[in-house]
Amino acid sequence: MKKYFAAIALILVFLAIFTPFASSSPDGLEKVAETFGIDEHEPVWKGIMPDYSVEAVANPYASTLLAGVSGTLLVLFAAFILGTAITSKKPTASSDKQ
Amino acid sequence: MHIPDGFINPATAALMFAVTIAFLAWSWKKVKATYPSSFVALLAISSAFIFAAQMINFPIVYGTSGHLVGGTFLAVLLGPYAAMLSMTIVLLMQALFFADGGLLALGANVFNMAIIGGLSFFLIKLLRRNSNSNKRFASSVFIASWFSVMLGALACALQIGFSETFANAGGIMVTVPAMLFWHAIIGLGEAAITTTLLTSLQRLQPTIMGGLALLKTRVKQ
Repeated sequence: MKKYFAAIALILVFLAIFTPFASSSPDGLEKVAETFGIDEHEPVWKGIMPDYSVEAVANPYASTLLAGVSGTLLVLFAAFILGTAITSKKPTASSDKQ
Repeated sequence: MHIPDGFINPATAALMFAVTIAFLAWSWKKVKATYPSSFVALLAISSAFIFAAQMINFPIVYGTSGHLVGGTFLAVLLGPYAAMLSMTIVLLMQALFFADGGLLALGANVFNMAIIGGLSFFLIKLLRRNSNSNKRFASSVFIASWFSVMLGALACALQIGFSETFANAGGIMVTVPAMLFWHAIIGLGEAAITTTLLTSLQRLQPTIMGGLALLKTRVKQ
């Protein structure tokens, strides 16, 4: 159990260290769109932390880090739920049907 | 490589959802049949790591950046089937909470990164040819992770190239070479990071690498 928490802590430390160095240049696809003069439309759904930032936090480092930590924990949680559901040994809905 | 909404036509989006769901159903079945519940922690932690790693863009050339996608990394760590599910979770959370990749484009994004990433496992298997040499493992991982980015970029270029948005720019005749050009370079970053991570893990914690075990044994279907 301890090593799992250590791994999660390591990921968060990794984020805290590398977030300030992340390049804000367009990525490959954004560059291609830019080259051909295609603008990204305002997205239909803006999410809750658009562009990996929390609006309420003014400091850009804190804002990105907070978004990153939230996202990491969200993914951790979601993958854990999925994993638990999929590897469960209990009878499932499909076997109930019979 | 996350496609925002508006870059692909609804028909393309629908087609990619259909293809993606078929692959996910397949991997779901495989994971359900073969993975023990002791595997859940590794699945959760490696998914979380890939989310974090995808946030860190590295600069390449001419004011362009890339980031680790991590499909091949997950494929070797978790096996191809769980890797597809793991990456799908990452992409779903990015689309839902961070508007990174459109919701309508989610099927396409899952195909380009999660499905192709997971399938890169079989390329490694092919390149390794049951050799136990560490060098051969490293070079197979390097090549497969580069190809996973290139194939993802090719799929992405076709999806956006057939859209009305890119029609005036020249469609696939221009999107394919442009996407492949940038991702040939970004792919080198992907390959270098993936190879470094996996060879280090292989040295330090070989037992946790379920995908590696799958690579080494001939799996009975």
